[in-house]
Amino acid sequence: MMQQLRTDLELADREAIATYLQSEFPFVEDSGELSPHVGGRTAGLVRLQSFRLEKYGKQRNFLDGEVSQLSPYVSRGCLELEELRQWALKQSRSKSVEAFVSELAWRAFFHLVYEEEGDRILKDMEKPKVPMNQHQRSLPEDIAAGTTGIPSMDTLIHMLKETGYLHNHARMYLASYVVHFRKVSWRAGADWMYSLLIDGDFASNHLSWQWVASTFSTKPYIFNRENLERYAGSLLPGDPKQGDPFNYSYEELAERLFEGAYMPEPSGRSPGQYQ
Amino acid sequence: MPSLIWFNEDSLNPEHQMVKDYADAPKVYVFDAPYLQAQNIAKHRIQFIYEALLEIPSIQIYKGETVAVLLQLIKDLAISEVVTTETPNHMIKGWQNELQKSIDLVTYPEIFPVTDHSSPRRFSRYWRKHERSWLTV
Repeated sequence: MMQQLRTDLELADREAIATYLQSEFPFVEDSGELSPHVGGRTAGLVRLQSFRLEKYGKQRNFLDGEVSQLSPYVSRGCLELEELRQWALKQSRSKSVEAFVSELAWRAFFHLVYEEEGDRILKDMEKPKVPMNQHQRSLPEDIAAGTTGIPSMDTLIHMLKETGYLHNHARMYLASYVVHFRKVSWRAGADWMYSLLIDGDFASNHLSWQWVASTFSTKPYIFNRENLERYAGSLLPGDPKQGDPFNYSYEELAERLFEGAYMPEPSGRSPGQYQ
Repeated sequence: MPSLIWFNEDSLNPEHQMVKDYADAPKVYVFDAPYLQAQNIAKHRIQFIYEALLEIPSIQIYKGETVAVLLQLIKDLAISEVVTTETPNHMIKGWQNELQKSIDLVTYPEIFPVTDHSSPRRFSRYWRKHERSWLTV
């Protein structure tokens, strides 16, 4: 069975495109919103032009900081990794240029691992560094619906569902919340996020979830209230103080979440980025 | 030798080298309905891909099972080789392998400075080893 789709729709009329695609793919859940991320190389080049690379080095870990938001365009190949690298290296050399190029290299690194491992990346790459054999195998309904009752996490989930995109740090918060605070298997979370992201890519997505989980890294990634406020506070609603799962030191969190199976470095500040 | 350009979702670039190299070849994309359903792909991704496709001149967009659609087109258009891009995506690779049983496949690799497959399994080590290549034009 093959059916040809229309190609005569106007790119500018995104509502009409959405309506048409809904009729062609009736099995797809309709979130009702249009994503602000417009598909195509032209839109990608416009975004590249407005990206202030010089601010990236200092601001990229902040949810309201300067990030390129080019991931949908790179993942879907509208812009090629190598042309972005060449573009960045033409800018005056700075920490920002190095930081941006190293993020491009992360993407290539994940692809190299995926290329070599194939669909084995869908399973634990390494033994987890904290106990995980009791983790739930399916994603709890309240997480899928964004009704966990924790306003910060629900906000991130709604951003993801309504736009098909999240800041990298926000992805890490959500992944850590799902895997370590809610004790859900990383695979269930990764499959869920993959399905929602415009830039869904098994390499970057699933291997990052494994990085958070500690099956592709030396330790689990966790965050606390202080970190969340520092990097995401301006965009997220405050959470109720009572019963706040994040309002602890890293030592306390490790004790609560992992029962001593893993202890963080005494200095205790969680990195904003992968290491 | 009639060629067919087959785009996959990881390479939706109207200016890709393969488009320049095979300027006269028909260009196709297939929305793989079973894959979209199995992975529960959300509408934002489908719309993004569709919008990206509309920028590719004379693209033909299909819906169905990828390999079956391509084999039908190969037959109808008397195609003798399919031109496409490499991706690590195991599902797309599976379709490529399946197709290769019946027809020649020309694949354009992803381009980045270091394609060392014996890569370390930690990014910090990878970066220490290859930082200079990445930061050199």
